Amino acid sequence: MRLWIELVVSGLITGGIYALVAMGLNLQYGLMRILNVSHGEFLMLGAYLTYWAYLVMHLSPFVFLPPLLVGLFVVGLVVHRLCFRRLAETTPEVEAFEARSLLVGFGLMFVVQNVALLVWGADLRGYQYLAGTVSIAGVGFTANRLVAFAAALVLGLGLIAVLRATLLGRAVRAMMQSPTGALLVGIDVRRLHPAVFGVGLALAGAAGALLSMVFEISPSMGEPYTVTALIVIALGGFGSVTGSLLGGLLLGVVEAIGMHLTSPSLKMVLSYGVFMLVLITRPNGLFVR
Amino acid sequence: MMRVLAIALVAALVLVGASLDTSAQSDAPPIKIGYAISRTGPFAPGAQATQEPSYILWAEQVNAAGGLNVKGQKRKIELVSYDDRSEVETIVRTFEKLMVTDKVDLILPPWGSTANFAVAPLADKHGYPVLAPTALSMKLVDMKLPNFFSMLPQPYVLMAAAADMLAANGVKTVAVIYMDDVFGLENIAAFEPAVKAKGIEIVDKKSYPLGIKDLSPVLRAIKDKNPDAFVGLTYPPDTILASKQSKEIGFNPKVFFTAVGTAFPLYKQVMGADSDGVSGIGSWSVKTSPAAKAYFDAHVKRFQKEPDRWASAHCWAGLQILQAAIEKVGMDRKAIREYIASNEHATIIGPVRFKGSEIQFPGTVGQWVGGDFEVVWPANRATAKLVVPKPAWK
Amino acid sequence: MARRGLAAVAGGAAVAAALPWLLDDFLVSLALSCLMYVALATSWAMFSGATRYVSLGTSAFFGLGAYVSAWTVAAAPWPVVIAGGALIAAAFAGLAGLAILHLRGTYFAVLTFGMSELTRHAVTYGEKQYAGTVGRVLTVAPSSRTVYLTVLAIAVAAVGVAVVVRGSRFGLALIGIGADEQRAQTLGVPTRRVKVAGFALSAAFAGAAGAAMAVRWTYIDPTAVFNPFIGLQTVLIAIVGGPLSLTGPLLAALVFSLLAEFLRLQFPYAYLIALGILLIVAVLYLPQGLAGLWQTRARAERPTAAR
Repeated sequence: MRLWIELVVSGLITGGIYALVAMGLNLQYGLMRILNVSHGEFLMLGAYLTYWAYLVMHLSPFVFLPPLLVGLFVVGLVVHRLCFRRLAETTPEVEAFEARSLLVGFGLMFVVQNVALLVWGADLRGYQYLAGTVSIAGVGFTANRLVAFAAALVLGLGLIAVLRATLLGRAVRAMMQSPTGALLVGIDVRRLHPAVFGVGLALAGAAGALLSMVFEISPSMGEPYTVTALIVIALGGFGSVTGSLLGGLLLGVVEAIGMHLTSPSLKMVLSYGVFMLVLITRPNGLFVR
Repeated sequence: MMRVLAIALVAALVLVGASLDTSAQSDAPPIKIGYAISRTGPFAPGAQATQEPSYILWAEQVNAAGGLNVKGQKRKIELVSYDDRSEVETIVRTFEKLMVTDKVDLILPPWGSTANFAVAPLADKHGYPVLAPTALSMKLVDMKLPNFFSMLPQPYVLMAAAADMLAANGVKTVAVIYMDDVFGLENIAAFEPAVKAKGIEIVDKKSYPLGIKDLSPVLRAIKDKNPDAFVGLTYPPDTILASKQSKEIGFNPKVFFTAVGTAFPLYKQVMGADSDGVSGIGSWSVKTSPAAKAYFDAHVKRFQKEPDRWASAHCWAGLQILQAAIEKVGMDRKAIREYIASNEHATIIGPVRFKGSEIQFPGTVGQWVGGDFEVVWPANRATAKLVVPKPAWK
Repeated sequence: MARRGLAAVAGGAAVAAALPWLLDDFLVSLALSCLMYVALATSWAMFSGATRYVSLGTSAFFGLGAYVSAWTVAAAPWPVVIAGGALIAAAFAGLAGLAILHLRGTYFAVLTFGMSELTRHAVTYGEKQYAGTVGRVLTVAPSSRTVYLTVLAIAVAAVGVAVVVRGSRFGLALIGIGADEQRAQTLGVPTRRVKVAGFALSAAFAGAAGAAMAVRWTYIDPTAVFNPFIGLQTVLIAIVGGPLSLTGPLLAALVFSLLAEFLRLQFPYAYLIALGILLIVAVLYLPQGLAGLWQTRARAERPTAAR
């Protein structure tokens, strides 16, 4: 029994981060149909800035988190202005827009990743923060993993609350359900889109900041997280932010238990197998009735 | 279509023109030494931690001293280097460019087993000797390429040393995890017979894929079996992951051994005091020789980072051998190859010689002792005393 | 159109075939790389460009072809190895297509990406369980000239087949599916069969290319041959070229390979940044891809010619 509790909690911790990575990406896709494959690069940027702030300015990652969120939000506004605004104006047709925004994402991936390489070099890096062990009901966990999980959960639930409770959030949700309908009731797309793109990047940066406490970082660290985010989004449903939160947590738990029951080597085969099966049979996600 | 091909042809010719751009000729032309190495892509962290810095440092040191002494003439080194993008096809193409188009005098190897598999036959075909510091596979040695020399002892040597160390310290049971790639598989294949010969029982054996983010379920199962020793045939990110998560679950066996990355300075940065007593693959420290200390200091001064305590020094030793060969026999590549193959060489890791492609160098075990990574096994190479049992995680 | 196109293909191929005797190894390697992407991008556009089912699965087919090559090259004649790579990849694509071709757009793109990762991990696991190894050493390999001419043949075949398909009922069916799948079905196009066949056909070229390229590397492992980058780069080239045109992907493959190599050799530290910016600019300002450059011109010229 204790083993199972350990597995589930461990899976939830990993899953919380998955969820946070996926939510930002899904928000962008759901609202604007931008499948931003450079999402992981902005995560990496968040991780490096946090590392740098810790090392050079001796700032705790949590003290640095608010300026990081604002910074990446602004980066998001700029990127949207430079790349996606023109694209949306010149490509009204959705499928073509999706394909071309995918390419812009690749371009951004090249640029951001290699700027990071030039600035910080290719070496793996890491630092020690809250590396002590905390015991919960006799089960040990590293403090930074627990704190990262808590922060991911707070940010994720916070986002959902904003989407549900505020006027702005309702506007976003309205747009996700019916773009034309939202236009008709007077929602200003030209302001909403850049803002939501910025929020997406800010969430990616936050995820990177949290991950940098737990794992080592390198300029190429982002890609695997983009892939994980895609899997989570598929599980939870494209365009459903709540689905992403649940999907991320579920994936974390399933992976931990799957790894225990089979072997880590088989885990990847199982993960992708389950992912494909879900997409083929339930393309709208697991949680849609 | 024809026009398209014509454009392609012209572009290609422009490329040749650009690459044939010859710099000013002086009386003593520089020695052109070419290489491609990973500055981007998944191989980059490894290549930049253990290999390229040594190449650059070597060329700078030689040039600061006026160059290499080739048949009474001082010739400087000119490095011709490219990024290989961690892609095998790019690696092959770039080395073809270096050897065939640029006609460099000598080449230096790329990083990692996969890249060296691709380059070794090519270099051999064109008659370029290669001293590879990061190629670890018996399959490569077994190809018996006359121009290929591996600077690292092969898995069966490394694992025999690890097994000796475990047995000598009263280890009866061991749990092992290994990575699903040529490194992990060849090492586990060497490890199993080595420990069995010493009467040590393997109580758990698990493999894992590249890029794993959570090993705690595996480690918890291992902890329940309570082995005397833990052996991880791991790469840097997993080495650190396994260490952090063993601490997390309170798994502290008598011997805790992880493979690549344990000897990286990064390990201590992220593990802090917890690094104390962790063993791993490592073959030298600043105490090994005054020359090793000098290399270490120069590396830190030039790059503001320490070299790793395993392959970095083997890379430097390879460059030392190459330098000695050039100064002894000149720039003839056949003569250089003969010189390397048939002599004993003085290097910062001690005297070495080659048998076929294999370096004759003992398997060693290192350990973090008192804040530094030291060689602790075998006794005649040790720079510090092995600490067993490992102290508790802090 | 088809006849003029085929003549141009034949002429281009003749020039390309002479390159190994005219240029040095490195330039031939560079040409080889171009040809590989010509084959991949053209065959990709044949299916994905026409139907607008954007596939990220090219690396799965390429990797399977490479493994077929590793398994058989020591025992079988070279043409059989290549044909084997093509057949296995096509068969795999056919089976996978039956399962996933009912989903469009982003779903299909993500699914094909998942498929190629699943294949990579399945091959890794299978090789480890049953062969005790994950990588394979290929000590027996045909000469580099043979490899070059083989990849050239594959590229020519891909272009030739693309030309033929465009003018055929099958090609029209593919384009019909891309324009409006439901209408195509109503008009009596057996959409499912056409899609599966098109997907398998395009996969065959990627498989053949993988089988031919693998022998150049002496050692292959799943990480290298199932590299998702191969699939991404293919899509990128085809879309930058103009997925609906024939010459677009072909030209883009040449431009992209040469430009990437030129930048890499000249600016070893900043070239990928430059490449990324170029890509973004190309997408933003060339909405029809490179093909748009001369198609707009042709369209502008046509009325004058008609008058």
